[in-house]
Amino acid sequence: MTQPSQVEVQESRECEAAAEPRQPATRSLLAIVLVLCLLLVGEIFAATCIGAVTIKPGAVASVLVNRHAEGLEMEKIIVFQIRLPRVLAAALVGCGLSIAGVLFQGLFRNPMADPYVIGSSGGAALGATLGIVFLPHFSLLGFGATASLAFCFSLLTMIAVYWLARVGGRTPIVTLLLVGLALSAMLSYSTTFVVLLHPDSYVAVHLLTVWLHGAISNTQWSQVAVAGVMVGMGTVLSFPLARSLNALCLGDDYAQQLGIRVEFLRAAIILVGTLLTAAAVSLGGLIGFVGLIIPHIVRLFVGPDHIRLLPIAGLAGAIFLVLADTLARTLFSPTELPVGILTAFIGGPVFLFLLRRGKREYAL
Amino acid sequence: MKTLLELRDITFSYGAESIFQQVCFTVKQGERVAVIGRNGSGKTTLLRLAAGLLTADQGLVLLDGCAVNRMPRRGIARLIAFVPQQLFVPFDFTVDQLVSQGRTPYLRALHNLSAADHAAINESMSRTQITHLRHRIFNQLSGGEQQRVKIAIALAQQPKLLLLDEPTQHLDIGRQAEILELLLKLNQEGMTIVAAIHDLHAVQQAFPAVALLHERTIAQGAASELLRPEILAPAFGLSSQALPILRRADHFAMEEAHIESTR
Repeated sequence: MTQPSQVEVQESRECEAAAEPRQPATRSLLAIVLVLCLLLVGEIFAATCIGAVTIKPGAVASVLVNRHAEGLEMEKIIVFQIRLPRVLAAALVGCGLSIAGVLFQGLFRNPMADPYVIGSSGGAALGATLGIVFLPHFSLLGFGATASLAFCFSLLTMIAVYWLARVGGRTPIVTLLLVGLALSAMLSYSTTFVVLLHPDSYVAVHLLTVWLHGAISNTQWSQVAVAGVMVGMGTVLSFPLARSLNALCLGDDYAQQLGIRVEFLRAAIILVGTLLTAAAVSLGGLIGFVGLIIPHIVRLFVGPDHIRLLPIAGLAGAIFLVLADTLARTLFSPTELPVGILTAFIGGPVFLFLLRRGKREYAL
Repeated sequence: MKTLLELRDITFSYGAESIFQQVCFTVKQGERVAVIGRNGSGKTTLLRLAAGLLTADQGLVLLDGCAVNRMPRRGIARLIAFVPQQLFVPFDFTVDQLVSQGRTPYLRALHNLSAADHAAINESMSRTQITHLRHRIFNQLSGGEQQRVKIAIALAQQPKLLLLDEPTQHLDIGRQAEILELLLKLNQEGMTIVAAIHDLHAVQQAFPAVALLHERTIAQGAASELLRPEILAPAFGLSSQALPILRRADHFAMEEAHIESTR
């Protein structure tokens, strides 16, 4: 009898010559990532120039290069205290939500899952609001109450959604959307309730605007730093999950028989996705549709392979949200729109289009 | 011949529903075994137990002499490949991307596919004759083509044992014959094959050994011994007249002789 290993070795050699070169695939990924990075940096620079007061690119460049440049006091204040932290926050939120979207869609094997739709953002918003209202001075490992409670509540919500929506080892779209809808509504009204308990009505209204409509304003450098660490960690930790996520897309049985420890992988995805969602929500509140449409659009261009999808979706999400936030603060200047309104205007129709296109797959 | 898979005194139940009561099941290296039985008799459960996807309430599953429950998942995945009945792919993965996933048990998280991995992927596609489909989207393929892709993923794992759950279901007679022919060819090349199949004609055509599941027990033997109306009728709850006409041992004897001569 011929041993399989001998056949393999022999045929492997024959096929090696015919094997398609893979290096170009890796190179093309690096090229796309590099182009998107350059695009993002250019966009961040442009967004820093644009606003209620337009600053010339030369002046922005001068203060960025030399913080002690003389004669540019106003520009320095606008760039460092107002615009730059906000633009960077938008990039972090976009990146975090997009990668969380990719992770949750892979976990649920469902292209309709995103942190907003499945209620994870709602949990994070409630946690962040509780932190602001009741524990303004709380700190855990250097993270304020907003970020740490956002993470805890987001994690609890995700576990609840996962537990409630799972039927016989699968997560049907109907169950997922209904569970997400119910939990999101409960969490959203709980957030409103908590905000109304706040004795200061001005602060309460502001909180409502921020958490329920999504807005990135008055961002402090300390917040950017905390969220930056969380998004950075989440992004880096998501990459080793990429290959296993591909296997998980084929189902639990398939993933397990391919050697994946499915329960461990699920826990890791939930933790990393929650970390990213919490970071995004603690900066920008409930910004819908980013985690849904960005992975979808990127998937149309680069395919569903998570090794490519994760980094590209992260960068595309950052680029998208910097653009959306810039539009939100300039379209009706000096009035600022919550950025969630813009993402809903863009994301809503895309979501409906996807539902229509896939209506057979998602038929109720 | 060396024993590759052994289920020893296995008892298994789904909650209150008992599926197996102290059953034994043995597969020797190079065998081609069909698992038959009525709906709900536990064919899929038997395969899932063998692949370590289910844990028995009692008893031992031995794979190449080692207890499956003590082996790391990646170790099992290098020895056994399980081809489930259905594969639902939620995104537009290409055939190439899916077959590449067969290499998962050999890959580290952040490492690229090596030349050996590419060779195994190409080889498994060529053995299942799907190389020309490699850039096609899996969800757009026909049932027969999808079945071949599923087998190619399994072959990319370079296992010793291939477990297939209803590999010919929902296929037209031509595609059924193609899949059976492919399994026969793989077996001739040295792959041990266990397939749950409910089409007794297909069993008769392609499997010299049979495991018949009936009332929480397993009867194992040559197809010529077990594919008899008087044995099958009670197992499938039929009168012996209603069973399809089954050909007898001479067919398998000829086939075995042919296989031996090709070796």
